[in-house]
Amino acid sequence: MRKIISTIAITLVAISLFGQAKKPTIMVVPSDQYCISRGYAMEYDNMGSKITLPDYKAALQNDLELKLIISKMSGIMADRGFPLKDLEQELKNLATQSAEMSMLESKSSGSGIAESPIDALKRTAKSDIIMDLSFEVKKVGPKKYVSFILNGLDAYTSKNVASAAGAGQPSSAAQTEILLEEAVLAYMDEFNGRLMSFFEDAFEKGREVKIRIKMFQNMDFDLESEYNDDELSEHIENWMADHAVNGRYNTQDATENFMQFEQVRIPMLNEKGRAVDARGWIRDLQKYLKDDPFMIESKLYMRGLGEAWLILGEK
Amino acid sequence: MKKTIQLATVFMLALIVSVNAQSRKELKAYYGSQYNVEIQTLGVGNDGTKLFKVWGYAKKAEGAAIEAKRNAISAAIFKGIPAGGGAAPTPALTTDINAEVKHQAFFDEFFKDGGKYLQFVNLSTDASAGGSDSVKMKKGYKVAVAVSINFVALRKYLEESGVIRKLDSGF
Repeated sequence: MRKIISTIAITLVAISLFGQAKKPTIMVVPSDQYCISRGYAMEYDNMGSKITLPDYKAALQNDLELKLIISKMSGIMADRGFPLKDLEQELKNLATQSAEMSMLESKSSGSGIAESPIDALKRTAKSDIIMDLSFEVKKVGPKKYVSFILNGLDAYTSKNVASAAGAGQPSSAAQTEILLEEAVLAYMDEFNGRLMSFFEDAFEKGREVKIRIKMFQNMDFDLESEYNDDELSEHIENWMADHAVNGRYNTQDATENFMQFEQVRIPMLNEKGRAVDARGWIRDLQKYLKDDPFMIESKLYMRGLGEAWLILGEK
Repeated sequence: MKKTIQLATVFMLALIVSVNAQSRKELKAYYGSQYNVEIQTLGVGNDGTKLFKVWGYAKKAEGAAIEAKRNAISAAIFKGIPAGGGAAPTPALTTDINAEVKHQAFFDEFFKDGGKYLQFVNLSTDASAGGSDSVKMKKGYKVAVAVSINFVALRKYLEESGVIRKLDSGF
């Protein structure tokens, strides 16, 4: 009990003194349904089965209505202190970055930039919260109305953290652009109200993240190996219980080769008042496992603010 | 015995009347009350505004119209604005249910007669309130006013005054 009270007290003091948790990035992305139903799609053959994926670049280059809605939403979110990452600009940046990376070399030896296949894979447009957007201008007789769906998805937990959906008032006089603008104005306050609740929940109960423990191949130990009469997996679970906010975490799955923790609540700030993300938080477990009696080396792999993997056995 | 019963009856009646009068007084004077605000959303307002019809009560119709404007701002802060006319519901600006108690001094000043709350009422129809929107009651008037409030400016003012949290506070 004393530990819980002191943890809460330290967190509150830290928030009041420093108060700058890591700010999530937000990006509006047209939904798969929106892109594919309008023909903004790419198809490829995956060993005989046809896979259809949304083509965001084509959607943003050709769909003025989509751009209008994203622009309106960006203005509202910037006003609330969350300037949105622009998907179109992000895609352009990635293309330029790839070209520059392939051309760049050192002056003395002509050496290129080191990049593993994983590094290349990680160069994609991403954000911490995705505003998944669908809309459609529909007709009832001579009148038009806009059906609108906006889902705020946490990129790591895949949870829908905020949403707003509905249909506007039918109108025979208003232009489509006016109806689209009206749809954004009609739903954004509701959406932001829910987003606010999500942030308040994170500050009160901790940021929810996903942690995976994995093993490199051909190690002389696994998660069932015993240290001080307890299996390694038990030691890891005990560490999670001791360090998650109010001991909140859920062991989603576990074998001798991997453990998957979901709904892990980590503090927004550490005892020094510094912002914490999943990678920074799990680094303490990495250090714990490196010590006696485990003496286990591990590789820390980051997947954004809210997901980290600890791969045991080697760096 | 009969006299005692009569006295007790008179005393009980006096007590009931006094409690009722007290509760009515509190209900009317309490700007944050969730019970005396009736709202009907009229549509989606222009950028940054909310458009709805709100009711006020007073002995005179003019007073009821002024009360309605105060109710409009009070509803946006404490109660939220319901869905209607193609607009989605707007949650209350404060997420703390005890905000009116915590910041009582601020709200007493904000909602005083001719207070700063009027700055956020853009447009109202109080001059032409009449017909079905002005109902004569036993002890006064119930008047509906269609108002457009500057919701974004109100939110920013309350954020800067430290009464409500910003969406990005803490980050």
